[in-house]
Amino acid sequence: MTDGTRVIAAGVDAGTECLKAVIVSADGQVLGRAVVASRGHFEACAHEVLAAALDDAQRDAGSLAGIGATGFAMNCVTKATLTSTDAACHALGAFHHLRHAMTLVEIGGRDPHVITVDDAGRRADARSVRKCAAGVGSFLMFTARHLDVSATGLQDLAAAGERPARVSSYCSVFSTTEVLERLREGARREEIALGAMYSIAERIVEMGPLDAPLHVCGGVAEFFPGVLTALSTLTGQPVRAVPEPILTGALGAALKVLEAVGVAGEAQSVEAVR
Amino acid sequence: MTALTSTAALRETMGGHFHALGDAAVHKSAPIAWCTSVGPTELLRALGFEVFFPENHAAMLGAARTSQRYMPVVHAQGYSPDICSYLTSDIGAYLTGETPLEAYGLSGVPQADVLVFNTNQCRDVRDWFEWYGRRWNVPVIGVRSPRALEHVTTDDVDGVTKQIEGLIPVLEAVAGARLDHRRLSDVVRASRECSDLWEACLRTAAHRPAPLTFFDGTVHMGPAVVLRGTESANAYYRILRAELEARVGAGTAAIPGEAYRLYWDGMPIWGRLRALSTLFEEFRTAVAASTYCNSWIFPALDPAEPLRSMARAALELFIVRSEQPKERYIEEMVARYDVDGIVFHDCRTCPNNSNTRYGMPRRLADRLGIPTLVLDGDVNDLRCFSDEQARTNIEGFVEQLADARPAATRRVTA
Repeated sequence: MTDGTRVIAAGVDAGTECLKAVIVSADGQVLGRAVVASRGHFEACAHEVLAAALDDAQRDAGSLAGIGATGFAMNCVTKATLTSTDAACHALGAFHHLRHAMTLVEIGGRDPHVITVDDAGRRADARSVRKCAAGVGSFLMFTARHLDVSATGLQDLAAAGERPARVSSYCSVFSTTEVLERLREGARREEIALGAMYSIAERIVEMGPLDAPLHVCGGVAEFFPGVLTALSTLTGQPVRAVPEPILTGALGAALKVLEAVGVAGEAQSVEAVR
Repeated sequence: MTALTSTAALRETMGGHFHALGDAAVHKSAPIAWCTSVGPTELLRALGFEVFFPENHAAMLGAARTSQRYMPVVHAQGYSPDICSYLTSDIGAYLTGETPLEAYGLSGVPQADVLVFNTNQCRDVRDWFEWYGRRWNVPVIGVRSPRALEHVTTDDVDGVTKQIEGLIPVLEAVAGARLDHRRLSDVVRASRECSDLWEACLRTAAHRPAPLTFFDGTVHMGPAVVLRGTESANAYYRILRAELEARVGAGTAAIPGEAYRLYWDGMPIWGRLRALSTLFEEFRTAVAASTYCNSWIFPALDPAEPLRSMARAALELFIVRSEQPKERYIEEMVARYDVDGIVFHDCRTCPNNSNTRYGMPRRLADRLGIPTLVLDGDVNDLRCFSDEQARTNIEGFVEQLADARPAATRRVTA
C-alpha cells in the first residue's frame, strides 16, 4: 500500500467529440478539470487537455502517481500508465459521486452504452447500441446545424418546445432528412429540437432493460438535459444526471490509477489480463 | 493460437469431397443433390447422390470476404438485404460466375439434379433452393418442419417421418435407383459415428486448458457438415480426436495461458473469424464451446430405425426448439465447459440463429450468475459489423470477467 496522503492522479477520456481530463487527490476529490474539442488530433489534444487540467489544479505533471486513459482514442494518450474501457471508467466515476448501484446510461459522441453498475462501482453488464448512429450525440450536432443554431442552442430551442415533432428513424442520416421534412411541413423549430431529444431517448430505451435508479452521464447529459427529460417520460421513472456528467469517464480513469497504486483498492484494468 | 496438425488431413478430406462433386458434375458419374446443412443427407447418400451443401459454400464466401461483392447483385433482383446473407452471397456468386471451388478444379458450383431442404432452420433455405430450382428447372422438395418446440412429441416425429418418406419416390426417380434400406441403415450408422466422434472432439474442450476453441471448431466441423454418413468423415475425426486427446494429455492449450473461458451462441462472423480469434487470444480468453459447433451432433440417429431417427434428430436440434429448452441446453453447456461468460452473436440477417431478441441473455445472466455479452454482427454481411464497436465491447467484457475473477487467482494449468 502506498502512502496515499500526497498522491494525485490524472484521468483522460479521449472521446470522439471532446477530450476530458480530471486531476484527483488521494481521497477522490477533483482538484482540476478541463475539456477540449478533439478536432481529430488526439495525441496533441490529449497533451493539451492534460496540461489544462493540471493548470486548473495548480499542480505539475511530476506530481502525478499515474495517468489513466479511456475512451475512443485512449491509445493516443501516450503518457498513460493505464488504460481501461469506457464502461468500467464511467461506472466507477458515477459510483464515486452517487455511492449506490444503478443503471447508468452513457451518451457521448459515438455509440451510447447502458451500463449496470453494481454496489461496488463495477460494471456488471454493458450494452451498446446496434450499429447505427441514431443514438449518438453527434446526431444532435447535425440537427442543430439543420435548425441553424449552435449545438448548445438546440437545448434552448427544445426547452421552448411543447410537443416533440416526430423524428423516429433508426438511421441518423434518415433522421436528419426527417428534420428537413418536418421543417417543410411547417413544424416549429422548437418542436423539432425537442423531437431530436426524443429520438435519442427512444434509441436508448430500445437498448434496455433500464432498471431504476437511472442515471445519465457523458456529453449529452452535460449539454442536452432535454434528452433526460425525454428518457424520463418514455420510461416513466426519474432520470438524473451524474454530477459533472461530461467528466465521469475521466474521473473513473483517474480513480483507476488510485486503485492501481494501492490508494483505493486493487487494480482491475484490462491490462491485468494482457 | 496453437495450430492443429490435423488441418492437413482436413484439407485432404474436404478436397476429396469437392473433387468428387466436380467429377459427378463433369462426368455425370453420380446424380447431384443439394441439401440443407441439417437436411436428410443420409437418405440422399443411400440413393447414391453426391451431396452439395450450399451453406458450406456460402460460409466459404463469407470467410473469403467476397460476399460483399456478391450480395448487391441479388439485392438488385429484389431480394432484401435483411434476409439471409448466406442466400444473397451464394446466389450473387453464382450470378457473378465465381466460386472458391475453383481451387478444387470446379468451374462453378455443381449443378443440382434435385434440391432437398428442411425448414427446421428457417424458411430462407427453401427460398434459396427455389431460386436454383427455377433457374435449372429441377425439382425442389423437402421437409416443412414444425418449429419452436418445447418438447419433441411422437406426433412431431411421425409428421416429419412421413414427410421424409414422401421424398423417396421423387428422389428414386431422379437417382434412377430404388432405395436400399440396408444401405440406408449403414449410412445412418456411419452418420451417427460421425456425430459421436465430432462430439468427442468438442468435449475435449471441457478440459482446462481447452485444446481447441470455437474458432478452430468452425473450420474442423467441415466434414461433419458435408460428409456425415461417409467413412472419410469418420476417418478424419479419428485423427482429430487423437490429436486433441494428446493435447489434453500434454496440457497443450489452444490459448496459451488460458485465463478465461467463454461460450459462444449464434452464428460465426465468417469474415472476422481470424480477427476475433486473435482478439480473444490477446485477452487470454478461450471461447471453449458453442451452440453452433454442437449443432452437428445428432444423438438420436439410430441405424435400427433410420428414417424415424433422422426425423427425431432433425427435430431435437437446438434451433428447432423454444426458449426454455434452449436455455436449459446452454445452462448444461455452461456447466459442462465451466465457462465464465456467454457471448451471444445477434446475427442481423439470421434471426433464427440469434437468441438475443426475447430476453434470453439477461435471463441466463440472472439465473447462472455469469455475465453475457451481445455482439451485433452478421454471418456474411460485414456492413452489419463494426470492428471498433466489437473490440470495445469484448475488451469491456473481459475486463468485467477480470473484475469478477482476477486472472491471477484462476487455476491455469497451461
